[in-house]
Amino acid sequence: MHFDWTDEDRAYRARIRDFLARELPADWPAIQREGPGSKAQTDFSREFCPRLAAEGLLVPHWPAAWGGADRPTWEHFILGEEMWAAGEPRGAQYMNVNWIGPTLMRFGSPEQQARYIPPMAGGTAIWCQGFSEPGAGSDLAALRTRAERDGDDYVINGTKIWTSYAGLADTCFLLTRVVGGAEGGGQGGGKDAKGGGKSAIAIFLAPMDSPGIEVRPIPSLIGQGDIHEVFFTDLRLPASARLGEEGQAWSIISYALANERVGIPRYEMGAKALAQMVAALRAEGRFADAAVRARAGAASAACEAARLLVYRVVDDRARGLAPGPESNIARAAVVAAEHAVADFGMDFLPEAFAGDGLPFAQAHHERAIVAGIAAGAAEIQLNLIASRHLNLPREVA
Amino acid sequence: MRFQPDEDLSALLSALDRVLRSDAAGWRVAPDHARHAWSPALDAQLEASGFFEAAAEPSLGPVAAAELTRRVAGAPALAEAGASALLRPLALAAGAPDLPRPLAVTAGTAPGAAIPFLPVARAVLRIAPNGVDAAALAPGDAATVPSLFAYPMGRLVREPDWTRLSVSPDAALARWRVALAAELAGALQGGLDAVVAHVTERRQFGRPLGSFQGVQHRLAATAARVEGARLLALRAAQDLCPADAPEALGHAQRIAGEAVYDLHQFMGAMGLTLEHPLHRWTYRARWLRGALGGAEANLAAAADLRWAAA
Repeated sequence: MHFDWTDEDRAYRARIRDFLARELPADWPAIQREGPGSKAQTDFSREFCPRLAAEGLLVPHWPAAWGGADRPTWEHFILGEEMWAAGEPRGAQYMNVNWIGPTLMRFGSPEQQARYIPPMAGGTAIWCQGFSEPGAGSDLAALRTRAERDGDDYVINGTKIWTSYAGLADTCFLLTRVVGGAEGGGQGGGKDAKGGGKSAIAIFLAPMDSPGIEVRPIPSLIGQGDIHEVFFTDLRLPASARLGEEGQAWSIISYALANERVGIPRYEMGAKALAQMVAALRAEGRFADAAVRARAGAASAACEAARLLVYRVVDDRARGLAPGPESNIARAAVVAAEHAVADFGMDFLPEAFAGDGLPFAQAHHERAIVAGIAAGAAEIQLNLIASRHLNLPREVA
Repeated sequence: MRFQPDEDLSALLSALDRVLRSDAAGWRVAPDHARHAWSPALDAQLEASGFFEAAAEPSLGPVAAAELTRRVAGAPALAEAGASALLRPLALAAGAPDLPRPLAVTAGTAPGAAIPFLPVARAVLRIAPNGVDAAALAPGDAATVPSLFAYPMGRLVREPDWTRLSVSPDAALARWRVALAAELAGALQGGLDAVVAHVTERRQFGRPLGSFQGVQHRLAATAARVEGARLLALRAAQDLCPADAPEALGHAQRIAGEAVYDLHQFMGAMGLTLEHPLHRWTYRARWLRGALGGAEANLAAAADLRWAAA
């Protein structure tokens, strides 16, 4: 076991930092303060990501056939750390890079691949994920947005909620439940046979400018333009917009989520925000207080524990192992780390969160408080740790 | 970055696990209801098998020594591992004449404070801000002190013959923090394993205790924290950054309070008896939690080192 980087890894990280130092504009702190779903950051990502692509730093881990360079898992992860630590200048496009692109490579039709992958590799595509619904949050399989077969088309009706980036996205990775029709429902067997459960779910790649889609932003604590309601009213899509087969959707989602699960190296931004807050406290002579230093040390330790637990998952992935309960443990630790940093800031440096304060710490706070909720509640992770890591008996219904 | 043990470490750890499954490492009630049971048999077996030389082996090193310390601390029987595996190689390289083990360590303790392992130790190391000293112990140098902790505790009653070692107090302190962090992570893991086994078997209200979500979530959260403490201790052993060792120890100490509370809650009244081993882990953890000033002091020290004044 060793916990050090190779010289190649260090050089790669230095190259990314040099690029960011050179390419991020002077007003980047103000842009990133608006949040990754904001108009400012989305517009910025559309001109920044093509520059990353030209430098070979947008999709280096993708296969060469899709514009990548077949670079190893660890480099992909180092890239993600540096981008997140910088306030995520890729905006919403990190999702394309991490999982939407790879999912289409694996499950998309040749037509879908030709249409959607090149703009992702070029750095101009904005996607949103139509997953959560008013009645389906952590229990994603309970989703009810209906897709009804009508000849060569599907007609889609329903509501999505908490949809990140929907306001400015070109395309939605849309989860629906197929009802009626020859292909509807009956592929799963058991309780799924009548269109319930996981086997009746189908994924559509929905152009957001289609008639029948209405997007309403939800004002929130977590940045401008970050979460939305999306209403689908008789949205008509051709069958060619469906990703994979109807019964295949849940395995596609599992593949996609496995790639997303530790996709955001949140602790890296937490550690950086913490360092800035410590510097501010020290400049005012307030870091001499042992209680402040102990709490800063505790927050840092939480970030480092999360870092190592995430690295262990990346190491497994790099060696081609399927994700196990280690990814659930890593997420629980990331949530704890994010809140330790956010709490430290508000306890000891409240002025950072008022007026101009510390824009980076403000941006971090708004991302940190969502850590235990986005991508499924942290309590679901605890359920999975209990059953998969501790092998505790299943709860009796 | 590699989280799986390589071949050498895997071989060492499988041999170690065989020893830790043997009778010498197993649970037995101590005579006279003592709160600790020093296992000379386990201690001797670990020494005879050469485990404590691991840290000095170039192919293994301090990460292996820390993992060894952690695993030994997970056994209900008590052997001295942390000082022997992590500090002793450093002391021998720094001119300690002869350092028979078991070893006791005094560092940052108040004068006259009781020290773990001292009644069974054959040598003692002293880490002080002005230097690091070693001394062999003669019979009668140390006296046993009764205590609530699950270690044989003692204090020096005669000043031994100290030899100043050519090692910096900072280097020795870092290693000692790693040893304590690994031991604490191991004690918590040992207790957690015992409680998980208990709540899987024990039924109330017609179902296993471990099927209640209220129990599951707390044990799952503890398990996640203990995993983090383990990796922090192992990374700190590699000595990549001076902040790592106090951070690993402080973190393990910070999570230990809630963990110990939960472990006893879920073991119920059985965990309060001396017939069940839970106290062997939790009352080692309780001493370790306060070691070197406890969580606040170690985390503040980590903060000083991580953000050293420019």
